[in-house]
Amino acid sequence: MTSTAHSRRSFLRSPWVVPIAVTSAVAVSLISAPLFASGDANDLPDITAEQLMNQVLDAEPTAMSGTVVHTARLGLPDMLFTEATGADPISLLGGSSTIRVWTDGEQRSRAALLGTMSEYSVVTDGAEMWTYSSSDDEAVHYSVSDADLARLEAMSDEARAEALKRQGELPTPQEAATEALTKVEEFSTVRVDAQSTVAGREVYQLIVTPDTDETLVKRVVLSIDGETKVPLRVQTWSTQDDTAPAVEVSFTDVDFSMPAESVFDFKAPASATEREVVVPVPEKDGTMAGSDVQHEMPVVTGTGWGTVVEFKDLDIAALLAKDPASMTGTTDRIIGSEEAQKMLEEFVPEHSAGMGLELGALYDQLTTEVPEGRLLSTTLLSILATDDGRVLVGAVPAETLRTMA
Amino acid sequence: MIAPAIRTEGLTKRFRSGQVAVDGIDLVVPRGAVYGFLGPNGSGKTTTIRMLLGLVRPTAGAAWLLDEQMPKAGGSVLPRVGALVEGPAFHPYLSGRANLVRLDSCDSTADPKTSRSRIDTSLDRVGLTAAAAKPYRQYSLGMKQRLGLAAALLRPRELLVLDEPTNGLDPQGTREVRHLIRELSAEGTTVLVSSHLLSEIEQVCTHIGIMGRGKLLAQAERQSLIADDDIRIVVTTTPDHVSDAAAVLTSLGLDATVDSVELQAQLGDTPPERVSAALVHAGVDLVGLDVRRRSLEQLFVELTGEGFDVAR
Amino acid sequence: MSHARGSFGRQLRSDLRILFGRPRTIALLAGLAAVPLLLAIVLFVAQNSGMAGQGPGFIGRVTGNGLFLVIASLFLCLPFLLPLTIGITAGDALAGEAQTGTLRYLLTLPVSRTRLLASKALTSLAFAVAAVFLIATVALASGGAFFGLTDMTLLSGSTVGLGSGMARMFGVAAYVALSLTGLVAVGLFFSTLTEVPVGAMAGTTIVAVVSSVLDTLPQLAAIHPYLLTHHWFDFAEFLRIEVNWSVLSSGMIVQLGWVAIFATLAWGRFTTADVTS
Repeated sequence: MTSTAHSRRSFLRSPWVVPIAVTSAVAVSLISAPLFASGDANDLPDITAEQLMNQVLDAEPTAMSGTVVHTARLGLPDMLFTEATGADPISLLGGSSTIRVWTDGEQRSRAALLGTMSEYSVVTDGAEMWTYSSSDDEAVHYSVSDADLARLEAMSDEARAEALKRQGELPTPQEAATEALTKVEEFSTVRVDAQSTVAGREVYQLIVTPDTDETLVKRVVLSIDGETKVPLRVQTWSTQDDTAPAVEVSFTDVDFSMPAESVFDFKAPASATEREVVVPVPEKDGTMAGSDVQHEMPVVTGTGWGTVVEFKDLDIAALLAKDPASMTGTTDRIIGSEEAQKMLEEFVPEHSAGMGLELGALYDQLTTEVPEGRLLSTTLLSILATDDGRVLVGAVPAETLRTMA
Repeated sequence: MIAPAIRTEGLTKRFRSGQVAVDGIDLVVPRGAVYGFLGPNGSGKTTTIRMLLGLVRPTAGAAWLLDEQMPKAGGSVLPRVGALVEGPAFHPYLSGRANLVRLDSCDSTADPKTSRSRIDTSLDRVGLTAAAAKPYRQYSLGMKQRLGLAAALLRPRELLVLDEPTNGLDPQGTREVRHLIRELSAEGTTVLVSSHLLSEIEQVCTHIGIMGRGKLLAQAERQSLIADDDIRIVVTTTPDHVSDAAAVLTSLGLDATVDSVELQAQLGDTPPERVSAALVHAGVDLVGLDVRRRSLEQLFVELTGEGFDVAR
Repeated sequence: MSHARGSFGRQLRSDLRILFGRPRTIALLAGLAAVPLLLAIVLFVAQNSGMAGQGPGFIGRVTGNGLFLVIASLFLCLPFLLPLTIGITAGDALAGEAQTGTLRYLLTLPVSRTRLLASKALTSLAFAVAAVFLIATVALASGGAFFGLTDMTLLSGSTVGLGSGMARMFGVAAYVALSLTGLVAVGLFFSTLTEVPVGAMAGTTIVAVVSSVLDTLPQLAAIHPYLLTHHWFDFAEFLRIEVNWSVLSSGMIVQLGWVAIFATLAWGRFTTADVTS
């Protein structure tokens, strides 16, 4: 007894106590940091799902800046995307990506996808948009023709915002949330969950559950800033994976003050190659003014989350070989599921140069051979390209598409 | 009574390998002594010295330097102690002088203002002034040893702990080291000097301690160790007279051992002249008669069971 | 024990003189300084050939603006050369003294073990800072000589003036140097474990390499933010339109954690270890 007491005392006097104490302190702060961050000692006033949804949709756009982390667990082979060097939107398909966003709450915004030593920036000013890729040192200027501009002026704010929605934009919680909420009432059940904390802000949590079991989407969880009603996090859970959301877009830090003016200025650097793209503004029927390719209208089957869209006469090989921008026009804003829409946009990058990956090779690696054609199956979206030139897309299990084909 | 310069009580070191390098030794080095710390290589001398200087922590027991307990009081005691441990060690690409400058500037208790003159003095004392600017790696073994001594003498010391200071020195160098030790001792410095070569330091020591297999086998003033009653007489005769000689020795009460024509016996109180007279009287042919005092070397062999210079 | 005033400063200066006066240290620094110079020459020769524009995007920018040579050189040195040279110096700090035997003479002077460790830590850190700033300075000089220094185009596509560009390059060098403090602490700890400097050197370098390998494994995403090397390349923050200081400070906090753990481990080990060399 005395000997153990003595050895304990001598141990407490030994210098090894210091590193052990320090290591424990570091470990404790490491473990407890995320715990504090998600502590639920919130005191936001109670609110119904209905009220909250309306407040989110009605919320005045506010000036803000912050860092968004986009994490995709779509069940695609990870290694494919780590091969892609530099900041490239294709990296959004797998793993985590960091996007920094700034907006003045009105016309101007900047979003930057961060790579280790690279950046892909999207700077928007009303109807004008610049993208800049540091890897290629290429600046692309998107604008609308004067005629379209005049037509835009005549539109309502809402229609204009809708019309200006384009490829090349980077995902933010606001966009994801707005898309998930617009059609929510028709096809989903919505409820308010326990309050939580995101990016150091107290948030409400809204859970959107599809009414149908035909879809791969199990539920969408929105975290809404209690004060500004700005969505700070959107998690989309798949029926295929209960452990983690399939896609998560979340602010890790956010600041609701007006960003510096310089952030919204963009002038193409002297060294960069510049490209001008005049973007056609879609007419009401979905055809392109000034588009030289006319596609047959896609066939839409089903409603809400279970929607499947079928495109006809698409030459996949040709699309992979050349700039596939012509396709993006037709897919724009047609697909029922917002996540599916997003996915498809991501699969159709508007700049094929400097991708770091050969598109054709990527297509071969991602898809599998099935009797009906080639199938791309992820935890949230299935795409079937049949041998006779049809493409079926939907947030539904692959079997559904194969039966339909 | 003045406390001893070095004192240990049951000092023990068991290494993690389980090997007991030092096994409960009680060392006493009186002030002013020149203590010859003897033992074969591997007998635990260096580990003892490392414990004295606070380099190695004792497993058990305690050690006091200049009446302060080590290693706790190292900060206040060690500035008064000069040490040479297991051979000299310096930065090979620095000159001898630069190495001393390096050591002196790391000594937090040394006065930087006197650094230069102290370095010059100690270089001069070991006879290295001429070679001070040469890089250490070009030094001969003897010069390296001298530089080690110079480092130990950078400041006035009350105690010098010199581990194998004559290692690698030629006979002339060994003489110089002995001279230096005598000189320092005359100035009042206590010196602990270890060696596995007895003859090299025996003459300068006032005290002797003998280590073997981690134990302190003997420790005493040099005079008392060798002025023992242990005196032997060796009688050499012709083959025909061996038995007669043995009979004479027996009649004198001596217990003789016979080795061909040589007979040896412990003299005890018997005076040697009585033995020679009795042998002559009995008509024994005396080829030789020798009276031998036991030497330190013999004592050492008896205590440790091995000769000097034997590595285990 | 009465320390003379400024005695730690004297010890530190002596340790610095020992390190930087050493032929091996000078050779290491010369080797690191050669990287930007060679890179400048290669890019200069290749700029009009078919090889132009190859490699990571920002390396191609060097020919347009010498400032980018600072980024390119540090980017090239950071994964292996800097960890290697820091492994050599930090790993050698105490193990080297133990191997030559000078450690026992320092300790019997006496030098307190805590003080010796502190001095060696600062000395190893000084090497890391010197190495990084040497690379940056040589890169700036040779970049200016070969390609000229002009306004800088950031990764975000904005252009800033030369003065701001230089200030950003200084920020990059300072961040890289501070990012190496954790590795210095690891090296120092390894250095207390052995009397064989090569072991401590190899161990330190391997820690850096293993850390960057682990950083690429998606299965370990949960521990990535805490890895020693995870935040090293966050110096790119200085090339963005708005420098996000919270990113840089989280990199520094991770380094601080590594320093706290390994510096105290080194202290625990060194103050209790038997010196038998």
